[in-house]
Amino acid sequence: MSEKHAANRREDLRLITGRGRYSSDMNLPGQLHASFLRCDCAHAEIVAINAKPALKRPGVVAVFTGEDAMAAGYKDFPNLLTFTNRAGATLIKPERPVIAHGRVRFVGETVAMVVAESALAAQDALDAIEVTYKDLPVVVDAEAALAAGAPQLHTNVPGNLNFEWDTGDAAAVEQAFKQAAHITKLKVVSPRVVPSPMEPRAAVIGYDTATDSYDVYTNSQGIIMMRWQFAALTGVAEEKLRFHLHDVGGSFGQRSAVYPEHGALMIAAKKLGRPVKWVSSRSEGFLSDSHGRSLIMAGELAMDRDGKFLAARYNFVCDMGAYLTPTGTASHVRNPAICTTGVYKIPALYANFRVAMTNTAPIAAYRGAGRPDIAYVVERLVDQAAVDLKIDRAELRRRNFIPLNEFPYKTPTMGVYEASDFNGCLAKALKAADWDGFAVRREAARKRGKLRGIGLSTTIEGTAAGMFPKDQIAIEFDAQGRLEVFTVALSQGQGHETTFAQVVADTLGVDAHDVTLRESVQGKNIAGNHTGGSRSLVGAGSICKVAAQKLIEQARPLAAEALELEPSQVEYAKGVFSARDGTKSVGLLELAKKHAGKNPHPLNLVAEGSVGATFPNGCHVAEVEIDPETGVSEIAAYTACDDSGAVINHAIVEGQVHGGVAMGAGQVFGERVFYDPASGQLLSGSFSDYAMPRAGWVRNINISEHPVISKVNVLGAKGVGEAGCTASLSSLVTAALDAVRPLGIQHLDMPLTASRMWQVIQQAQQAKVK
Amino acid sequence: MAKIELTVNGTREAREVEDRTLLVDLLRDHLGLTGTHIGCDTSQCGCCTVHVDGRAVKSCTMLAAQANGATVVTIEGMAKGDQLHPVQQAFTDCHALQCGFCTPGMIMATAALLKDNPQPTDEEIYHGLEGNLCRCTGYINIVKAVKQAAETMK
Repeated sequence: MSEKHAANRREDLRLITGRGRYSSDMNLPGQLHASFLRCDCAHAEIVAINAKPALKRPGVVAVFTGEDAMAAGYKDFPNLLTFTNRAGATLIKPERPVIAHGRVRFVGETVAMVVAESALAAQDALDAIEVTYKDLPVVVDAEAALAAGAPQLHTNVPGNLNFEWDTGDAAAVEQAFKQAAHITKLKVVSPRVVPSPMEPRAAVIGYDTATDSYDVYTNSQGIIMMRWQFAALTGVAEEKLRFHLHDVGGSFGQRSAVYPEHGALMIAAKKLGRPVKWVSSRSEGFLSDSHGRSLIMAGELAMDRDGKFLAARYNFVCDMGAYLTPTGTASHVRNPAICTTGVYKIPALYANFRVAMTNTAPIAAYRGAGRPDIAYVVERLVDQAAVDLKIDRAELRRRNFIPLNEFPYKTPTMGVYEASDFNGCLAKALKAADWDGFAVRREAARKRGKLRGIGLSTTIEGTAAGMFPKDQIAIEFDAQGRLEVFTVALSQGQGHETTFAQVVADTLGVDAHDVTLRESVQGKNIAGNHTGGSRSLVGAGSICKVAAQKLIEQARPLAAEALELEPSQVEYAKGVFSARDGTKSVGLLELAKKHAGKNPHPLNLVAEGSVGATFPNGCHVAEVEIDPETGVSEIAAYTACDDSGAVINHAIVEGQVHGGVAMGAGQVFGERVFYDPASGQLLSGSFSDYAMPRAGWVRNINISEHPVISKVNVLGAKGVGEAGCTASLSSLVTAALDAVRPLGIQHLDMPLTASRMWQVIQQAQQAKVK
Repeated sequence: MAKIELTVNGTREAREVEDRTLLVDLLRDHLGLTGTHIGCDTSQCGCCTVHVDGRAVKSCTMLAAQANGATVVTIEGMAKGDQLHPVQQAFTDCHALQCGFCTPGMIMATAALLKDNPQPTDEEIYHGLEGNLCRCTGYINIVKAVKQAAETMK
């Protein structure tokens, strides 16, 4: 088995044989089970809670309410957005008790937690808890929430506006707009989605009375980020929080943060002196997992007579839901601000962001975390400008690309771009997609009764700049002298065990199977960033190379000793130290085994480095066919040419592009969270009502690479995790728009569901008849 | 309480469980076979797919009591010693998994699909996997894996 499997991902064997260990698989001796009562109204005062009847139910040990959350003081979540606006104002953070206290603000907010001897007993007791609510008016739309007279969610957030922040030069933009020959304007939405990794959230938390400390088993994106956030929420010192992390069933940003349920479980574990386990159902997940996207974006692009861009202006309304999550605001404000200029030279820029509260589930990072959103509005503007000016969409882009000789390019807002070859990437993608031959395919589709359109995107995203200033990698040798590599990154499907081991093995010149990666291991005192923001290969992965190089140098004196030579007389190649005259040699791993059992092993080391921001980019070309009779859209062809920098494992990179594009296709064609505007009820609360992408949505992707090696890290990598999402929203939507433009349709908003497409096509056809 | 006897991965098992116990909970909580996953509560995701008397079943839609006397195969029973099942082999060969959470259900669904239809077309594969959700791979490599497995099992 191992031999046949050898060429494939290291993590696969346990995952395909049912031996993966996910959070819900974890059990601690003596554990109790928690279940959460979630409110069924979107905005209400909690007049009274009577939990006593639940305590009489069989198996019930305790019931916890908002009183317990307030007594513990678990109500202030950390937030990654720390900068102020020009007036010096900071983000206003409303309190969020880990169990609601006094008021509920979205359907699904936790109101009480039952802890019982079994999960079923805990669930059974929920309906015995009596809660009296007094309904309050509801607002679910972010623009409506910011309007005068809107229901107010938090007393300390006047007008439901947490933060208003702007960047760029408003006066310069205004001046440029006055001189423009043409201005393209549009307003688009990036609809709210539910990240929906296939593994529901789960946690088991134990408390040790003797040391006043906690053991946490939960899904996560990495130990350091999680520990810091748990400590910030609860005030428990980081050294008293032990994290035992393991396989994670996808995340996409959704597990980047501490959740209220974590805090509630800590309260219960401490009070009851027994571990407490909770496994979310998918229905609970739809209500209470962090949601993603939900931005309303207006943009204006000014250009001269030749289509040369002069200035752009954006106005973002960022829906945060009812409370702030640790990652949501930074995702919606900081990340888009880095790439307001897209891949284009736009001399003057201005962007304004308003962060709003609504009676909906809180928003957090979701694959791309603001990067797909800014890319989407930039690309929609450029596409529309090409149509307005009757210039070929590829040609308009060529005229405005940041030229190769202008890197590093400092954008007028926040970004400093690393070198990229946008023109080369575009040319390669257009050729691969047969852009020039499209008319034939459109005509063939027309004969079949289908509307076929082509769209392209040329996008860029800022990645890799982590929250923590440096990444560390430890190399250690176990009791048998086997090489282990430690990182605080944590794969949620990215395949680090394969790629990082490959980096170390390639640097050392040894077999990858002689290197084992250990991720986010409790007790390993190393620093670094969690896995997110397309960062881990660029950060932790590149430090793996640094660590391997350091290992060679650290081993050289020991090798010299073993060979009875001066270190300067020892050469290293392909895993072996040799005398310069070739007379004798010792393998690195053999040397390590000779010293096995020493404590510490003399070859153990920690390497570190700081990795700056880098900028993956690419050109994607989509062709979409729409059946005008049904409104059903189909992706007829998809081409992706990406600059991910240097690629370590092509299969994994292709897999990331597949997954990212499919996720984009989900948002474009199907996924939409729908809250009833009057009641705030979630009407898309299961996979029956929420259209997840399925097999066949994206049938094939024609993938090529156009790497420009990054200089911010020793691997030359730029990252790829989010590229598919960033590029696909605009390529797919503009392809669909291109298909229906001949009918007179000028604008489309996601999601392009069959019913919506059928409606706009019908309306357009009726308008033509009139 | 329901007394249940069944064969799981070739082993006879007997348990007494609450009447309402689902087959997936029997497998995971009572038999410790955690390779079968629970990804939803509306029978949409297919993470819990197992074989009951040779047919693919979403084990969250079936009471354990309904499996009384049945022969059940889970992901843990697919490999024969060191020999991976061709569908398992195809999934790793084609990089048809990332996080791996949907994978056991995908593999079980695929094995059943190929039993009914040994040489499926692309359309038949899309249709056959309609009841299995994956959030990581975009399904492209999963479809490749189904085809490789079909080829191997010819």
